[in-house]
Amino acid sequence: MLSRAGILSGQQCKNIVALSTRCMATTPATSTSADKPSQPAFQRPVRQQPGKVRLGFVPEEWFQFFYKKTGVTGPYAFGIGLTTYLVSKEWYVMEHEYYNGLSLLVLCIIGVKKLGPAIAKYLDKEIDEYEAGWNSGRESEKTALNAQIKEEETHQWSADGQLMLVAAKRENVALQLEAAYRQRLMNVYDEVTKRLNYQVERQNVEQRIAQKHLVSWVVKRVVSSITAEQEKQNIDKCIADLAVLAKV
Amino acid sequence: MAAKRVAKSSIDWAALAERVPPHQKGQFTQFKSKSDLYLRRVLANPESPPAIDWAAYKAHVKVAGMVDEFQKQYSALQIPYPPDTVSAQVDALEKEIKNDIAKFKTESNTRIEEYKKQLAYIASLLPYDQMTMEDFKDSFPEQALDPINKPTFWPHNPEDQLDYVDKDAPADEH
Repeated sequence: MLSRAGILSGQQCKNIVALSTRCMATTPATSTSADKPSQPAFQRPVRQQPGKVRLGFVPEEWFQFFYKKTGVTGPYAFGIGLTTYLVSKEWYVMEHEYYNGLSLLVLCIIGVKKLGPAIAKYLDKEIDEYEAGWNSGRESEKTALNAQIKEEETHQWSADGQLMLVAAKRENVALQLEAAYRQRLMNVYDEVTKRLNYQVERQNVEQRIAQKHLVSWVVKRVVSSITAEQEKQNIDKCIADLAVLAKV
Repeated sequence: MAAKRVAKSSIDWAALAERVPPHQKGQFTQFKSKSDLYLRRVLANPESPPAIDWAAYKAHVKVAGMVDEFQKQYSALQIPYPPDTVSAQVDALEKEIKNDIAKFKTESNTRIEEYKKQLAYIASLLPYDQMTMEDFKDSFPEQALDPINKPTFWPHNPEDQLDYVDKDAPADEH
């Protein structure tokens, strides 16, 4: 593939060197401990994006190379010119295999564009599951440790609540004293008012009885003082009144 | 103390209830019910008894001098606030609890440090996606393939090796 030609340019050079030599260090690529200052620490290669290409196989660096002199359309013009030259001079012969290749190329492009993403997603999923399976032990241990740390912190926070409890106990003591004090006040008040009310009630009762007795005595005397002839006069008057009333 | 306290609870019961661990909730509800009982007893009586209407009594009661006598004695009466005998115990309890809490916190913090160290160790390990097969052998010597000392046939699982004894297979048949 033509992109291999672009390997020796740009930043990919260093990676090839690193891949070809065996890494001696077992520390990860992102390790921050620098405890091997004697030998230059070979960075472990981490997965990178592939080199950028245009049209699927032409490296981006070539376009950058052309940009200064010929602008944006330079490489394309160069490519068209070159292919035209090769084809017109029959240096590149379009014979049977060429047309086979062309059809195959079209089919390949269609296949990659249509099925590529789906297959890539499926394969990535499988890889992710595989990786997750390997990492699950460490991950579960990490979550367990974090949970334990959280639990310890919650326990400490709860322990502080004991001080609030002591404040509540103090308040309970104060409330009990207050309750007893109020009870005493009310006792005194009740006793005093009880006695005074008793006196008032006694007065009222005596007055009522005296009044009732006097009234009944007066009524009895009045009734007994009505003579017989007064009674007869009263009855005659009542009958006359009734006659008058009946006439109306 | 002679000061009368306000007749409402100045404790944030909600915040206190949050801090109670689950296995002590029963004790907490008991404590709260007791506190509520004390509060109810305080609220049962008014803060000060109502004033006595001496003039009305003087008009109604015919016993000579009784109302004046009562009034004099009533206003001269001083009811002592009940003495506080247990606050000292509460203070001692608070000190003890503070010590306990400090001790618990130090122990708890050492435990947290230990957990954090373990977390740091796990973070420092080589991630699996950067391991080579050599690194795997360094990390898990028993699980790695060892073609020199213990060669195995593909696919390097125990069932396909020569000396495998199937647990579920029937007993030896002749």
